[in-house]
Amino acid sequence: MKKAKFVVVAAMALVFLTTGFGFAQTQAQVKEWRVPFLNCLTGAIASIGEYLQWGAERAALEINQAGGIKGKPVKVIGVDTALDPQKGSVEMARIVEEGTLVAMGPVPEPVIMAAMPIAVENGMASVTATTSYEYAVKFFPWTVSWFPPTEQRLGELVAAWAGLHPDMKSVIQFVEPYGPWPGMAEAHVKGLTSVGVKVMPKVDVPSDAVTFGPLVVKALEQKPDGIVFVCNAEKIAKIIRELKSRGWTKMDRLLVFSSGDAPELYATGGADINGVEIYNYINPNLDTPRWNAFKEAYMKAHNGNQPPSLSTNYYDALYMIKRSIESTAVTGDPKKFKEERKMIAEYMANMKDFHGIMFNWDMKNGVPTNKPTFIFSIQEGKKKLVKEVKP
Amino acid sequence: MSLALYYYLSITAVNILMSWALYVPYRMAHLHFITVANMAISGYTAGYLVMALNVPFSLALAIGFLLGGVIGYLVSLFIGDAPTFAVVIVGFTFIYITRTVIENMPSVGGTMGMFGLPNIGGSPSVHRFVILGILYGLVVLVGFLIHRFDHCSLGRAASAVFVDKDLAVSLGIDIRKLGILLQTFSCTLAGGCGVLYGFIYRSFHLDFFTFHLVGITMTIIFVGGYSTMWGTVLAAPLLYGIPLLFPPEIASWRIVIYGALLILVLVLKPEGFITRRSVYCVEGFLSRAQKKLNNS
Amino acid sequence: MQVLIAQIINGLSLGSIYVLLVTGFNLLLLVAMIIHFSYPQVVVFSMYITWVVLQLTGNNVLLGVLAGVGSSILLNLISAPLFQKVMKNRGEVDINSTMVLSLAMGMIITDVLSHSFNRGLPIAFPDQISQSTPVLRIGLITILSGQVWSLGVGVVAVTGFFLLLYKTRAGRAFRAIAEDPSGARLVGIPLLKTGLESYALTGVLGGIIALLLATLLGSASPGLGEQVALKVLAVSIIAGLGHLAGGLVVGLLLGILEAVAQGYISGTWSNVIAFVVMLGVILMKPSGLFGTKL
Repeated sequence: MKKAKFVVVAAMALVFLTTGFGFAQTQAQVKEWRVPFLNCLTGAIASIGEYLQWGAERAALEINQAGGIKGKPVKVIGVDTALDPQKGSVEMARIVEEGTLVAMGPVPEPVIMAAMPIAVENGMASVTATTSYEYAVKFFPWTVSWFPPTEQRLGELVAAWAGLHPDMKSVIQFVEPYGPWPGMAEAHVKGLTSVGVKVMPKVDVPSDAVTFGPLVVKALEQKPDGIVFVCNAEKIAKIIRELKSRGWTKMDRLLVFSSGDAPELYATGGADINGVEIYNYINPNLDTPRWNAFKEAYMKAHNGNQPPSLSTNYYDALYMIKRSIESTAVTGDPKKFKEERKMIAEYMANMKDFHGIMFNWDMKNGVPTNKPTFIFSIQEGKKKLVKEVKP
Repeated sequence: MSLALYYYLSITAVNILMSWALYVPYRMAHLHFITVANMAISGYTAGYLVMALNVPFSLALAIGFLLGGVIGYLVSLFIGDAPTFAVVIVGFTFIYITRTVIENMPSVGGTMGMFGLPNIGGSPSVHRFVILGILYGLVVLVGFLIHRFDHCSLGRAASAVFVDKDLAVSLGIDIRKLGILLQTFSCTLAGGCGVLYGFIYRSFHLDFFTFHLVGITMTIIFVGGYSTMWGTVLAAPLLYGIPLLFPPEIASWRIVIYGALLILVLVLKPEGFITRRSVYCVEGFLSRAQKKLNNS
Repeated sequence: MQVLIAQIINGLSLGSIYVLLVTGFNLLLLVAMIIHFSYPQVVVFSMYITWVVLQLTGNNVLLGVLAGVGSSILLNLISAPLFQKVMKNRGEVDINSTMVLSLAMGMIITDVLSHSFNRGLPIAFPDQISQSTPVLRIGLITILSGQVWSLGVGVVAVTGFFLLLYKTRAGRAFRAIAEDPSGARLVGIPLLKTGLESYALTGVLGGIIALLLATLLGSASPGLGEQVALKVLAVSIIAGLGHLAGGLVVGLLLGILEAVAQGYISGTWSNVIAFVVMLGVILMKPSGLFGTKL
C-alpha cells in the first residue's frame, strides 16, 4: 500500500514538474508583446492607413480586455512609412534590429518592395494583409498572402457576376496601370470569357486623369452591355458620374473591383453610385456580436461611416499573430528570437480554421484556401448582399 | 554595422549624389530634373541586364552610368542653353514619359515592379559592404571632381552665367557647350545612382522615381546651400535623418515642415545655410591653423 | 464622325480647365512677376474652403462662393510678401527662386489638405454647384452645363483681363509696378495700393476659377492641383510666358489633343503623346509659340 502511494505521489510529482517546466518554458518572457505595424499614416493614402491602424488597435484592445497573449498585453506600434520607400527601409531595418518577433505591413506595394527583403533576410515575418498574392509570394515564407492567386479567385467571381446578368453579352473594363491591377483585369477577362461573355479592348485610365469624358466616349463607342472598373476609387466614382451624364442607366451592369471599395468611392460618388455592384471579401451585413461590436465602434469613431472593407485586415492579422504565439513555444526570450520568429512564420503559413472576424479560413503554405467573396449592390452608401461566391 | 545605419548611410549617399547631380547644372541656373528619369532608365536597364541576361553587376553599373550620360548628352544638345523654365519642363516631361514607358513594359515588371535582384558577392553582408563602398567611393570621387570644377575656370564661367547670362556671353563664355558639359555630367551621375538605388532595395518600383525625389533633392540643395557643394553634404543626412527621430505626431507633418523650412530659408537666407562666404571662412581658418602648426 | 466631335467637345472641356488656370497663372506673372508653379494648388485650396462653408451653412452657395474668393485673396496677400522678398534678394525676376518658393507652398497646401480636411478623402460638391445636367445629347455627343460655363467664363476672363491689362489705366499701373517698381513710383503710381489691388484681383480670379472647377469636376482631392500643375506650366511656357491669348489657344489645343489621343490610343500612351508634343515645342521654340510677354 505504502509502495503504491509512493508511486502515485512520485508520478504526480513527475507530471507536475514536467508540466511546470514546460509551462515555464512557454511562459511569456516579455512585459508586453510589441507588434510594429509599418503603415502609411501620412501622405497620399493616409486616410487608408488610418483605418488600417484603427482595425489593428481595435484588435489589440479586445485581446487585452480578454487577458492579452499568454497573460501579457499586446501593443500595436504604428510606424509611419509615409508611402516613402526610403523611410520604409530604414524603419524595417530598425524594427528588425530592435528584436521584434513579428511585424505587420508594410503598406503599400512600393514600400513592401523596399522593406520586405530586409525582413526576409533577417528571418522575421511581417504580415502584409492588404496586398495581392503576386506580391506576397515573392517574400514567402516570411509573410502570408491574404488572398488566393488572383487569376483563380477573380475568374470565378466575375463569372458569377456575369451569371447574375445573363443578358450581358459584352463587357469593357476601365483599367488603371498600378501594381497588381492590370493582372486583376486580366483575371477578369479569363473569368468572363470562360462563361461566354465577350470582353472588349480595355480602356486605360491614366493615373493623372482629371476628366473622363474622352475615356467614357471611347468605352461607350464599343456599346458594351456591362462595365468593370479596375482603378482608383475616386476615379471610379467620377467615371460613373460621366457615364450617367451620357445616358447610362443600367447601374447593376457596373461592377467595381475590391480595391475600389474605399471611402473615396462613396465620398465622391454619393447617390450616383446607387445600384452599382461591387465585389469584396467582407460582408458588412453579417450579424454576429463580434462584427456588430466592431462596426459600432468604427462608426462611433468615424462620424457614422461604415467600416471599409480593408479595415478588418489588420484586425484579423493581429489575431493571427496572437494565435501563432499562443499555439507555439514562443516566449519572446531575446536569446531565442531567431527560432521563435521562424516558429511564428511557420505556424501562420499553415494555420487551420483561423477565426477571422467575418469567417473562418485555413492557410496552406501561406495561401488562404477557402475564403468566400461577396457581390454587393450599393444603395445609399451601404452594401446590400447580392451573392456569396464560395471557392 | 547595424542594419538601420546601413540603410541610413546608403540612402544618404544616394541623396548626396543626386543633389550634386542637381547642383552641378544649377551652377548655371538650370534646374535639371531629368536626373530622376535617368535614375529610372538606368536602374531598370541594369536590373534587367542582371536578372534576365546574367550580366555582372559591375558591367551593369557601368552601362547605367553610360546610358545616363548618353541620354543627358543627347537632350542637352537641345537644352544646353535653354531658359531655365524650359529645362524644368523638359525634366518633368521626361519623368512622365519614362514612367509611362516602363509601366507598359512587362519585361521589366511593368506596374508590378522588378523583384529579387541578387545579392552582390553572394551574401547580404558582402552585398551591403560593396554597395556602401561604391556609394561612398563615388561620394569622394564626385566630391573631388565638383570641388575641382568649382575652383577652376569652368566653375567661374558657370557662376558668371548664373549671375548674368548676357554678361557671360560678352565675356566669351560658350553657354551652350558649358550647359552640355554640366548636364551630361549630371545625367551620368544620376544614371549610376539609379542602379545603386535599386540594388540597395534589391528591387525596382516606379514609385521609387517620382516627383517626391525631385522635392527631396531640391530641398537639400536650397536649404543646404546652392552656391557650394558642402551645403548638400550637410543637409542630406540631416533632412533625411532628423525626421526619422521625430515622434509620430510630428513626423506626420514632415512634408509641411520641409516646405516651411524651404520657404524660411529662401526668404531669410536665400543662398542656404552654407554659403561661399562661410566656406571661405572655414578654408581661411584651416589654412591659418595649418600655418601655425607648420611654424610650431 | 460622331465620336470625333464628342472627343473634341471633351477636349474643349478639359482645355477650359487649363485655360482658366493658365489665365490666373499668367495674370500673377503680369501683375507681380511671379511664376507661381503651385497656382493650381491654391485654387484647389479655395475649392476646399468653399466646400467647408457649404457644409457648415447647409449648402448656401453664395456664402460658399464668397468664402472661396476670400480664401484665394487671403492666400495671395499672405504669399505676396514672400515672393517680393525672394525677388528683391536677387534684384530681378528670379524664376528659379519663385518657382522653388511656389513649389514649397504647393507641398504645404497639398499636405495640409490631406491631413486636415475630410480626413484626406476627396470632397464632393452638392448638385447646386456641380452641374452634370446635359444641355445637349445626341448619341455620344454630350454637352454639360458645367462645360459651357467653364469654357464661356474662360474666354470671357481672358478677354476681360487682356482689355484690363492692356487697354486701361489701372492695368497699365499693375504692369508698371510689376516690371519696374522704382519707375512706377517715380511716375506717381501708389505702390502699396496698386500692389494690393493687383493681388486682390488675382485672388478674385482664383476664387472664380475654384467655383468653375467645382462646377465642371463636381469634386476635388488633395492631389488635384499637383495633377494639373505641370500641364498648366507647360501650356504657359509653350504659349509664351504671360501671353493671355496664347494661353487660351494652347490650353484648348492641348485639351483637344489629349482628348483625341485618349479616344483613339491606349490611355496611358495618350499622355506620352501630349508630353512629346509639348517637349518638341519647348525644345524647338523655348520662348513659346506666341512669344513671351515678360
